Amino acid sequence: MDKDYIGEVIESSTGDFLAECLELNSSPPFGSFVKVAGRSPTIGLVFSVSTHSIEPNRRPTAYGKTEEELRLEQPQIFELLKTEFRALITGYIDTTGAHPFLPPQPPRIHSFFHPCDADEVRMFTDTSDSLRAIMNAPRLPTDDLLIASVRGAWMAHNRDTAYLVTMGKDLSRLIRDDYDRLSSIIRRIAQ
Amino acid sequence: MLDLSAVKRQIDRMASDQKRIQNDFFERIDLSVHEARGWSDDWKALSHDVDVSRTSWLVARLSGPPDAACPAPPRPRQLTVIAADGSQIFPDRHEISSCYLLNIGYVVLHYGTGERPTLSSRPFLYYREEDLYEEWEGRRTAVTRESVGIRRGALEFTFLADLSVKAREEGRSVVGLSDGTLILWSLEGRPPDLRAATLRTYLDAFEQMRQARVPVAGYISSPGSADVINALRVGLCPEEPTNCDRCPYKTDRRERPPEIDRGPAPLPCSPIEGVTDDLLFARLLKPGERSGVFRSQSRILNDYGPHRIGFFYLHTGAEIARVEVPQWVADDPELLDLTHACAVDQAEKGKGYPIVLSEAHEKAVVRGADRDLFYKFLRDTFVQNDIRAEISLKSLKKLAATV
Repeated sequence: MDKDYIGEVIESSTGDFLAECLELNSSPPFGSFVKVAGRSPTIGLVFSVSTHSIEPNRRPTAYGKTEEELRLEQPQIFELLKTEFRALITGYIDTTGAHPFLPPQPPRIHSFFHPCDADEVRMFTDTSDSLRAIMNAPRLPTDDLLIASVRGAWMAHNRDTAYLVTMGKDLSRLIRDDYDRLSSIIRRIAQ
Repeated sequence: MLDLSAVKRQIDRMASDQKRIQNDFFERIDLSVHEARGWSDDWKALSHDVDVSRTSWLVARLSGPPDAACPAPPRPRQLTVIAADGSQIFPDRHEISSCYLLNIGYVVLHYGTGERPTLSSRPFLYYREEDLYEEWEGRRTAVTRESVGIRRGALEFTFLADLSVKAREEGRSVVGLSDGTLILWSLEGRPPDLRAATLRTYLDAFEQMRQARVPVAGYISSPGSADVINALRVGLCPEEPTNCDRCPYKTDRRERPPEIDRGPAPLPCSPIEGVTDDLLFARLLKPGERSGVFRSQSRILNDYGPHRIGFFYLHTGAEIARVEVPQWVADDPELLDLTHACAVDQAEKGKGYPIVLSEAHEKAVVRGADRDLFYKFLRDTFVQNDIRAEISLKSLKKLAATV
């Protein structure tokens, strides 16, 4: 039994998966990489986080109290909410190494996941493949996800300026037909 | 199929009847308030009249003025409130097995500590011969919905007592709440051995809680009871002692020619008949206040020993609720205050109904879809194990009705 996991997959498909976090409000950050445990661990990029009622017919209502007051006086609330996130599948790891493309099988339901460590992040962000995956996936907050993932990858590369320049060049190739958009993205990455 | 147009005509008639009754009703409530206040100083005389009366209705025994109102004491900052509630899949002989299922939802909420609460449920499947048939007074019969309900209620209290004792052992201040009455009047007239066995479970649970000093209370929302009104009706009765079996006013009525005898009987106790206790206390209590403690005279309580049930009415701010407690809670001001403060706080937190009870219900409830899934599991498992799995033609017909 894996003790360090922070949640598990509850919906899975070829391109993305939905995961439930073990603790409320403890999703891995937007734009960060997670690794789903399995024979061939899948790598996902978090692109949507939500917290809501565990039961579809019960909606949270306003109480006019702080979270601390609610934890003391309405403790049941926090058992009736859950935090979920969706992740774009950007690659997988098998015995032959890391692959920056979709795995033959999606992660299994109820598989556990962890945040990727810096080595794993570097493994999947050395090239612009993950940027291309973000650009090509439908229904994503594409620009913000590019910004967050490049900033995260830059941290994993120890704030290496050369890495940032390479990513900037790759982005300019990917978004070469829209100068305004490209400059906005690069400006925000650098902030 | 329901003929809605036929029902609508009956609803219209019902509404017009209700309207007529309603106007007269407000006067009755005014009178009952007047009566309750009228006995405030001389409540011992009324109490005596009640104690010696023989009535055909259930009359509350008094332990103080009927119009007494006690403000809510403050709730201890740290308090653990526990509830257990049950739900079931009744035995269905049209299904592949007559087994049945009880699901007990239980909730432990710790206030003032920030600890995580427990909200959970546990199912119990009953399928053995001794589960499906019961023998009382030498008669063996298949379990009925009623007996499943009795077993469920007993299991709820076993959970409530176990959880309460455990929380108490952890050094907490605890209140145990249950949805509905603690008075098992439905056992009256049932075989003595069934009655004794059921009561034993309940009373054992009460005893465990008594020893742990955990007040247990039955919370009744929208109570329809009129025990206190009935006590005031005894007060209206000129007879000493009141004895409904020998009511001279009823006799007079019978002797009257039928063409004169129209409308309700003009008995001395009639003017407040039909009023319920909640309507009376809605006028006597302010939000947060409770009435004095009354003692129920249900016959079944003669078997309750030290756990005889008393009750008070509580203005939750949203309604008048009836809260039933065993005698040892009623007699202990500390436990009574704790129950009162807890019930008010719970109703406030739950926006009118104790949050711990509604959460226990949510955990217990077995919905239609769960029931269907349960029988699907059962069928699949039977088939996988080569057990004959057959449902009745009636069930089959319900699944696919033809024209």
